[in-house]
Parts: sequence; structure tokens; C-alpha cells
Amino acid sequence: AVAAPIEIKFSHVVAESTPKGQMALKFKELVDERLAGKVKVEVFPSSQLFGDGKELEAMLLGDIQLIAPSLSKFQKYTPELQVFDLPFLFKDMDAVERFQQGPEGQGLLSSLESKGLIGLGYLHNGMKQLSASNPLRVPADAAGRKFRIMTSDVLQAQFEAVEAVPLKKPFSEVFTLLQTRAIDGQENTWSNIYSQKFFEVQPYITESNHGVLDYLVVTSTEFWMSLDDDLRVELKKALSDAIAYGNGIADEKANEDKQQIIDSNRSEIITLTDTERQQWVDAMKPVWKQFEKDIGVQLINAAQAANQ
Amino acid sequence: MTIAVLFITLFFCMFIGMPIAVALGLSSVATILMFSNDSLASISLKLFEATSEHYTLLAIPFFILSSAFLSTGGVAKRLINFAVDTVGHIRGGLAMASVMACMLFAAVSGSSPATVAAIGTICIAGMVRSGYPQSFAAGVVANAGTLGILIPPSIVMLVYAAATEVSASRMFMAGFIPGLMMGLILMIAIYIVARIKGLPAQPFPGFKALARSGVIALGGMMLIIIVLGSIYGGIASPTEAAAVAAVYGYFIAVIGYRDIGPMKGIPWQKEGENYASAAARNTAQMLMAIPKSFADPEVRKVILDASKVSLMLLFIIANAMLFAHVLTTERIPHTIAESIMAWGLPAWGFLIVVNILLLMAGNFMEPSAIILIMAPILFPIAVQLGIDPIHLGIIMVVNMEIGMLTPPVGLNLFVTAGITGQNMIWVIKACLPWLCLLLGFLMLITYVPQISLFLPEYIDELKGY
Amino acid sequence: MIKKLISNFEEGFLSLLIVSMTLLVFAEVVARFGFNAGIHWAQEVTLLMSAWFVLFGASYGVKVGAHIGVDVFVKMLPSRIHRFLTVLAIVLCLIYCFLFLYGSWIYIEKLIKIGIELEDVPIPRWMPTSILVIGFVLLIVRFLQLGWKVIIGQADGFHFADEAEESMEIAKALKESSLGDTDSNKDKGDKS
Ligand code: NA
Ligand code: NA
Repeated sequence: AVAAPIEIKFSHVVAESTPKGQMALKFKELVDERLAGKVKVEVFPSSQLFGDGKELEAMLLGDIQLIAPSLSKFQKYTPELQVFDLPFLFKDMDAVERFQQGPEGQGLLSSLESKGLIGLGYLHNGMKQLSASNPLRVPADAAGRKFRIMTSDVLQAQFEAVEAVPLKKPFSEVFTLLQTRAIDGQENTWSNIYSQKFFEVQPYITESNHGVLDYLVVTSTEFWMSLDDDLRVELKKALSDAIAYGNGIADEKANEDKQQIIDSNRSEIITLTDTERQQWVDAMKPVWKQFEKDIGVQLINAAQAANQ
Repeated sequence: MTIAVLFITLFFCMFIGMPIAVALGLSSVATILMFSNDSLASISLKLFEATSEHYTLLAIPFFILSSAFLSTGGVAKRLINFAVDTVGHIRGGLAMASVMACMLFAAVSGSSPATVAAIGTICIAGMVRSGYPQSFAAGVVANAGTLGILIPPSIVMLVYAAATEVSASRMFMAGFIPGLMMGLILMIAIYIVARIKGLPAQPFPGFKALARSGVIALGGMMLIIIVLGSIYGGIASPTEAAAVAAVYGYFIAVIGYRDIGPMKGIPWQKEGENYASAAARNTAQMLMAIPKSFADPEVRKVILDASKVSLMLLFIIANAMLFAHVLTTERIPHTIAESIMAWGLPAWGFLIVVNILLLMAGNFMEPSAIILIMAPILFPIAVQLGIDPIHLGIIMVVNMEIGMLTPPVGLNLFVTAGITGQNMIWVIKACLPWLCLLLGFLMLITYVPQISLFLPEYIDELKGY
Repeated sequence: MIKKLISNFEEGFLSLLIVSMTLLVFAEVVARFGFNAGIHWAQEVTLLMSAWFVLFGASYGVKVGAHIGVDVFVKMLPSRIHRFLTVLAIVLCLIYCFLFLYGSWIYIEKLIKIGIELEDVPIPRWMPTSILVIGFVLLIVRFLQLGWKVIIGQADGFHFADEAEESMEIAKALKESSLGDTDSNKDKGDKS
């Protein structure tokens, strides 16, 4: 008799057209091709199954098998992953890639094991920019302004470091709050600023590249260990290929979306001079010290080393 | 098969009289146990998510609380007086005034039955006294009361926005013109009937009296300005504006009009009291009144009544989300969508199917539950057919309005029967001619999307997107 | 006596929750608009209070008949069949509760095992989530009480106090207040 195929539910919270959505579909395609009859992948986009507040817990209960939350979501699971939220730690996406593929980055994948999770790989979204209703050239321009942040202690500290007011607001309300100027600004990647239409309501975008917003593809230890060794290798391979495909799209899409925003003429894009940029770095860098204990000095040093 | 089990269990549970919330939850969990590998733990997690991760839904208890304070009597009465003074002198004017009063109340409250109850009591009796047939009066108010969910703010629109992730403020904007239009259509129909039947008119009270009743009604009307103003003036999001509205509702009912609570019956200015001492006395009494409110039986009753309605609605919504979750895990919307798509319906044909589906659902169910179940199914197809999600939302809301008036379950019917002391059959007959008007209006809304989309798009354009 | 105490507690707790939620969101607006500040824990706390409000309130709703349902069909049936169907409905409600109670228990156990905290408030995540278990236990108690009342003939259904009935009370209050300032003393006489 033929055993029923193993079911993998891949749940995520963004649209199918995004790099993450495309990566998930690619994974399904590769598995269908290589493991037909053995494994069946179903992709549930747009928080159809669970929202990003509960998808990790749902995975631990065994009802979904793959998710790819943003790295900030793990702060309560392991403090070490907060390294990715530190401002001005990485020079560009190449540096991020070098760090993630290096020994420390790969080591971080298993940092979640005590909580029953296994990291399977990093998926890029891109470098974060600052958008606002007023031009932000130096840190003083941000002082006293209200910025929406994701729930993350590091990001909160980062905005407090420039005397701005960080506000946690659910994603569903952000557009309205920005539109009505109840909130002055926010930080996000080019592709999110474009897809969420933030550029329509934010007249200035500062190309700050001040941080990285990446995802971690995770599964539960219980599910992963229940698989045959061969199958695990095959799945890991398919996932790595899908991630590589997704990362390729992410880089391309970041540039494309940036260009779309420029072409729309709705926001002015501000490029920082070296001295201006240095002011932001000087203002925000103390945040590193603040979280050094939680994250570990070695990890921060290794991340910095990836810039060369 | 899965679809059959899900819906048969649901209908059976509802038929034997189970609370709708439990019927939704039980049919979901039964389907999961029979057809899926999902665990009960993750269904419980989903229920917790449904009650704790939807910030937008918080607007529901907030608006209900605000409506509860406003419905305590005085606010509604003052709005009606203003409306009568404004249009009462036109032939059939009192009936038009009732429509206008409903529109005004709809602009501060998010609920249709509350609108009928608040306006109907006084207006129907008033019209009968002025020589209108009672069935005419009842039909007008029951229909105009449905505007409660079309004219923003609207609980039903918030639920739609939450279910489909369209912007709530754009939905509100989109409901504005259709709401005014339906009010206008009702008024024109009243005018025609009034001409034919020779219905009476009130004398015009003069501009001074009009201004006076306008000023007195200002406290209630301010809420419109506060809610819309705080959303569009960059102070608050719709959910936050609802909380502001609730706090304002408390202040206007307890501190301002003093219809209920610890300051009930205390005049702003006593006879022979000068302004300075009145101001000092009022300030001191107000400061005392706020802590006293916590112990005041009338204030507590308002809050408790609002709690009952809110928790009932939120519990239905949470279970309806489970129902939607089962639909999603079992890919049922996809199946229905694919079969409807396979019929190859053009957009206009699809919209007929939508209206029939919703009208049928409206016979049995509560608007929020219908929206939560149907929106995830209809939304993706509509998008594929190039129908604007905002337009679809307004179509759904107008369908829900009609559902309020269709037996066996029609909240406005129940309220109207109660106010007039007539039986259900009489009320249904009274509402029928106006219901036909509403159906015509639905056709108009369905096939002229510009009515819904003009305002949100115009505002987008004004802001230069 | 104890009944009254429990009732007061339930009503007080629910009112406290809805008022706190309202005031917390209101305070956020005031803080942001008036003082250019945020309350960083407000969102999480408000949302958790809403979960407590609904899950704690569900059983209170059964007690006071606040949940809405469709009882037009059963009311058309002979009273013996009506009674039987109501008992059946309550049994099904109990099944619903036990299934969720079981699922909630496993979920809470898992949360205790992982041992993570809330995002913005330093307390373990299982604690606020435990309202799932509390809520369903209370719901079971209320359904058992209702079932008993139906069996001994004290009640014949869920007594849906639907929104219509709520609104009727408003209507009655309005009628009374409007009679005060009209000349129709006749109506008044009819009422008493
Ligand atoms: Na309304
Ligand atoms: Na109906």
C-alpha cells in the first residue's frame, strides 16, 4: 500500500505576489516535482490561517509546519536574534548575506531549539528606509516625531535614541494613521513601502539603509525530527533552492519598487551625505551597548566583521 | 461532502434554537474533527486569536457603549425636535423629518435597531397624532432606521473592513453618498405619497425657533463632528475615534444633558444664581459626578447593557472567525469560487448571484455574522472580476439593511412591532412598499458603482494620489 | 445572598473591562495628540482585556439570555417537542464547551512548557491565555444550570434577549420621557 503523503502547511502573512509569497510557491513547485506522492505542500498566504501574532504558537501545536516570520518576532523566543534589529550594523545586503551564511549566522539557526523550533534558512526582504511627513536629513529632524514600529525592544530603543516617539500600532491601522498624520513616519523596506502604499501618504523617504528586515524560515523540532533522514535532506535542499530563488526576487523587487516610488513623484527621496549619515550612526549606535548583554558581544563583532 | 456537513450542522444547530455563536463554533469544530488533521488545541488558539488580535473589532464595543449613552433618552429627543423644526412645514414633512432624524441618529450610532427604537417611539406617535395612517408612519421609520448601518459610522462596515482588510475610513466615506441618497429617495417617495393622499403639514416655527432647537441639539450633533473630525483631522484611527465617541457619549449624557446619572435634574443655572457662582457650583459638581458615576445605578446599567450586546456580538464574531477558518483550511471558498467562476459569469451576473445569496442569508442571520462568513468567499472572486472591494462592501451593507426588514429574523421588524404594539404580519405589510423601494435602491447601488466610489476616490484625488 | 454576590462580581468585572478598554484607548489618543507620547504596552493590554471580556462574558451572556439565536421555528412546534429540542441544544452546547476546554487545556500546557513572556508586559504568556480554560468552565456551569431549569420546567429556552428587545427598553424609556412634555395625559392613564 502507498502511504499517504506527508502534509506540509506553509502559512504566511503577506500576499502571494511578494518575494516571500513567491518563495513559498516555488517551494511547493519544487516539492511537487521532486517528492511527488511523498510530500504535499499547501501554501496559505495573507494570514488566512493565522495572523503573525499566533503563527509561531500554532506551529508549536503542530497544525502548520512551515512559517517565515520576520526576525523581530523571535525576541521572546531567543534574545540573540535581536542582533538583526540593531541599527547601522550592516553596511548593505551583501554584508547581511555574508553574516547569515557565516558560522555565526548558521549557528543562530539552532538558537531556537530549546523552544522547540528549528531555523531552516534566512529569507531577504531588504534594508529599511525611513519615511515621514517631513524631510529627515539629520537625527534632530526626527526628534519629537511619532514613528510606528513593529513590536521590538531594539526598535523602540533605536527611535528613543534620536528622541523620536516610537508607537506600536497594528499593521491594519498604520495606513490611516499615516494618511491623517496622526503618526508622522515609519521605517520599512522599499518593497513594503511600495506594496502597502505608504509612499502615497508619506511625502519624504530618507534612503537611510539603517537596518535590515529579513525573515527566518522555521519549522518545529517535533515535525522536523519525525521525518526520515533522506526526506529531511531532500526537503532542506528544496527549501534552500526556493530561498535562493526568493532572495533573487527580493533584491530585484527592492530596486524595482524603489524605482516605482521615484516614478510616482509622490514622495521625495532624500539621499544622505556622508556627514549626515554619520550623525545618524553616532546617535543610534549606543543602542548596541544597551543590548550587548542580551545578544552577546561576539555576535555583534562577527556581524560587523561581515561588512569588510 | 465537507461543505454539506458544515452547513447542515450549522442550520440544524440554529434550527433547534442554539445561540448563533455556539452553532457556528460547534459546526466548525465538528467539521474539523471529521475531515481534518487539525488539533482541538489549534482551534482553541484560533478562538483566542479571534478575541485578542483584532484591534479593529474593538470599535464595536466602543460604538455600542457610545450609542448606549446616546440612547438614554434626551439626545434622541433633541435631534428629533430639530428635525421637525427644519422640515415639518413641508407637505408630508413630519414623515420626512422622521427620515432626517433617522439619518442624523444614524450618523452618530452604528446600529439599525437602535435607530428605529430611538426615533420611532416619538416620531410614529407624533405622526399618528398629526393624522398620518399608523402603517405609513411605521413603514417609514422601520426603513429609514436601516440607514444606521449605511451612514457612517457603521459597525457592519467595520466588520467588513476587518474581514477583507480594506480601509475602514474608505468604507465610511463610501457609505456617505449612498446613505444621503437613500434618505433623499425615501423623502421624495414620501412627498409623492403625501401629494396623492393629501397628508398634513406643520406650520413653520420661524427661524428663531429653528436656531434654538438647532443649538439644543448641538450636543448630540457634535458627536458626528468629533468622530469624523478626529479620523480625518489626524487625531485618531477609526477604532480610537470610537473610544473617543464612547467617552464623549458619557460626558454629554451624564454631564451635559444630565438625563441620567448623579447629576440628573441638577440645572446648569438655578433661578436667581449669577454666572460666577453657577460656574463654580457646576465645576465642583462635575468633578464630584465623575467618581460618583461608578456607583450610580443608571450609569452602571447603561454600561452593563452595552457590555451584554458587545460580548454577544464579539462572541458571535469570534466563532464566525472559526467558521471562516474551517472554510479556509478546507479550501471551501476556493471550491465555491471555482464553481461560480466555472459558470463563467460576467461581473454583472456574479453580482446578481451575490445579491441573491446575501438576501437569502439576510432572512436568517445577523449582519456581522453574514459579512464574516460571506466576505472571505465573495471578496477574491469580486477582485478577479474587477469589482472594487469598496463597492462590494457597500453592496453587502445595503443587502444587510434589507435583511433587517425581512422575516423570519429582522431586527427592525421586531422593534417596530414593539413600538406600535401591532403584530408581525401587520408590520411586515407596513414595511413592504418601502422594502420594494430599498430593493430598487440595491439595484442602483449594484450597477452604478460610482455612487459608492465617487467620494473615496474624489478624496484620494484631492490629496493627490 | 451568594448568588447576588456572584452576580455583582460578574457585572462589575465586565463593566470594569469594557470601561478600562475604552479609557486605555482614549488615553492613548490623549497621550499621542496632547503629550506627543505613546503608551507602549497599551495595545497588547487592551487586546488581552478584550479577550477576557468576551470569554469571561460568554457565560454571563448565557445566564442573562444575551446571546441571540433563531427560536422562531422551535416556538412553532408543540411544547413537548420544543422542550426536547431545547435540551438537545443544551447538550450540544455542552459538547462544544468540552471540546474547547480540552483543546484550551493542551494549548495552555504547551505555552507553560515553552515558557515565553508577553511582548510588552513581563508576565508569562500562559497566564492571560488561561481565560480560555476559565471561560469554558464557567460556560459549562451556566449551560448545566440552564439545562436543569429546562428539565424541571422553569425555563423553556435560551431566552434570547436580542438586540430588538434591548432597543425596546430604550423605546419604553423614551416614550415615558416624551410623555412628560406632551399634553396627552390619556396615554398615561392607559399605561397605568
Ligand atoms: Na451609522
Ligand atoms: Na431578515
